[in-house]
Amino acid sequence: MKLLISLLFTFGLLFASDATIEVIKKVDTLPTIAVEDASISYNDMFKLKFYKALIADLNVISIFNVDRYHRKTHFNDTTVLVENKDMNYVLRYKMYEDDSSTLHVEMKLIQDGETVLFKSYRVNRKNIYMFVAHAMAYDINGFMGEPSVEWMKRKVIFSRIVGAKKSEIVISDYSLSYQHVILKNRFNIFPKWANKEQTAFYYTSLDSAKPTLKYLDTKTLKISNIISSDGMLVCSDVSEDAKTLLLTMAKDGQPDIYTYNVEKKTYKRETVYGGIDVNAQFMGKNKIIFISSRLGYPNVFSKELNSNEIEQLVYYGKSNSACSSNGEYIVYKARETSNAFAKNTFNLHLISMKTDFIRRLTATGINEFPRFSKDGDAILFIKNYKNQSSIGIIRLNHNKNYLFPLKYGKVQSMDW
Amino acid sequence: MKNIVLSGVVATLLLFSGCGSPKPAEDTKTTEKPAETAQEVKAVETETVASENTTVDASSESSSSNSNLSMAEVESQLSPVYFGFDQFSIDSDMQATIEKASELGKNAAADFNVKLEGNCDEWGSDEYNFALGLKRADAVKKAIVAQGIDASRISMVSFGESNPVCSDKTQECWAKNRRVDFKLLP
Repeated sequence: MKLLISLLFTFGLLFASDATIEVIKKVDTLPTIAVEDASISYNDMFKLKFYKALIADLNVISIFNVDRYHRKTHFNDTTVLVENKDMNYVLRYKMYEDDSSTLHVEMKLIQDGETVLFKSYRVNRKNIYMFVAHAMAYDINGFMGEPSVEWMKRKVIFSRIVGAKKSEIVISDYSLSYQHVILKNRFNIFPKWANKEQTAFYYTSLDSAKPTLKYLDTKTLKISNIISSDGMLVCSDVSEDAKTLLLTMAKDGQPDIYTYNVEKKTYKRETVYGGIDVNAQFMGKNKIIFISSRLGYPNVFSKELNSNEIEQLVYYGKSNSACSSNGEYIVYKARETSNAFAKNTFNLHLISMKTDFIRRLTATGINEFPRFSKDGDAILFIKNYKNQSSIGIIRLNHNKNYLFPLKYGKVQSMDW
Repeated sequence: MKNIVLSGVVATLLLFSGCGSPKPAEDTKTTEKPAETAQEVKAVETETVASENTTVDASSESSSSNSNLSMAEVESQLSPVYFGFDQFSIDSDMQATIEKASELGKNAAADFNVKLEGNCDEWGSDEYNFALGLKRADAVKKAIVAQGIDASRISMVSFGESNPVCSDKTQECWAKNRRVDFKLLP
């Protein structure tokens, strides 16, 4: 009997996945990598910018101990620089510009004197050089057999408050090195990518008589009105096939969740509670999670779209006011202090729907607006701390957080 | 002889006592009348000039500019309703503000509609915070409807934390941002 119980216990432990334990193991054995710059075009300032972007990306993929010295060499040298001879890996790259001002980058990954990976890239404008660095880090990550970091190549869209009732909508890369202000001098909030290809987005305009949901095609720059509502109107989520939106609307001042059929232009009310129901997120095709104040305080609930049954998902904390889901995991924002007279702390927590697993992901400041990446590998969020507004990334499987501060303004909301 | 002198002194005294006059009372009486007369004349002149001597176009401009000014003037008399931390119920000390707004809504602002703008302090920009701002606007709407304002004249919007009146990191500033503003619409 005792043997059976011990066997069952061991069996259970074998299949329990705890990301925290894996991370402790990995920290001791991260391979080292040095980066050699063999560029033959561009001035020193641009070369340094590209080098820094690449180093930052190699750090974010969290699978190397990255050497931070900017060393220069020749691309076809048969050996690595003497300073790098003890490195597990050396990444050597060459930037050059052709006659049509196209930026080309060739790279090789060297291990034990052998080239184990060779790739080349090009972009037609050098001001989007950072996307080349992201692609290089993505490919090296894939070559090393790690889970995909597709999110690294995706664009982020965010709204930034620059004054009372004034905002900008900005398209950027995940590190904010590239920023393109696509809408400004207006009061637009809650931008949301309209499709996987990121060729259009929805946003809420507060400049009209009523809050209005609008759609902007980034190729044609054409704007169309989708729907208006008194009170408030937000596109909280878009389905995988881009045909259904989850909206928060407040007809008669009552904030509730609606599904909106993009093709038929019809909407259906999903929640009827008389308090606050907001921030719905798809969890699979027919289920949503959302924030509701039906227990007297904001908390996370789920609902099947074809039924009226509501299920409470989080049993911790007294104020959980934002959420995002991926597979069995939910990340939510929890208020940890409730002080009217001082700064408050909001932290992100991760829970599993299938086990008792719970983990706090941040430590200080106001951490909010969590958004899972499509592959569930990372969480993007907004951090406001000590008067600095930043976009943050949490690498869940590596237990690391990275922050990318804004130079001005305050991030209001974002999507990726 | 003595009797004549004594009588003379008494007569002189009587004469001087009769000349005394109550100066303060007379002065007060004379100053009151001119002030009353001046006020009445001024008011009549202003009203008469406004309704005469204007062409159709100019009068419509002048009358509309007068009504715009009036709307702005009335709006400036509408004070915001302030809320407690994380609350959307109306405190008893805001009741006077609600009553004054309702009175204005029935009288000076009777021709206008009103938009209630809900706002929050800086703690969070997510949807829940916007909804909290909206619940504040809704609480004010219910309160002024209860005082007799027609609900069809009222619209609402929430700005969350995106419309602050101040940006200091102090409790006074946070308290000023937790509010509902009244905006009049023609």
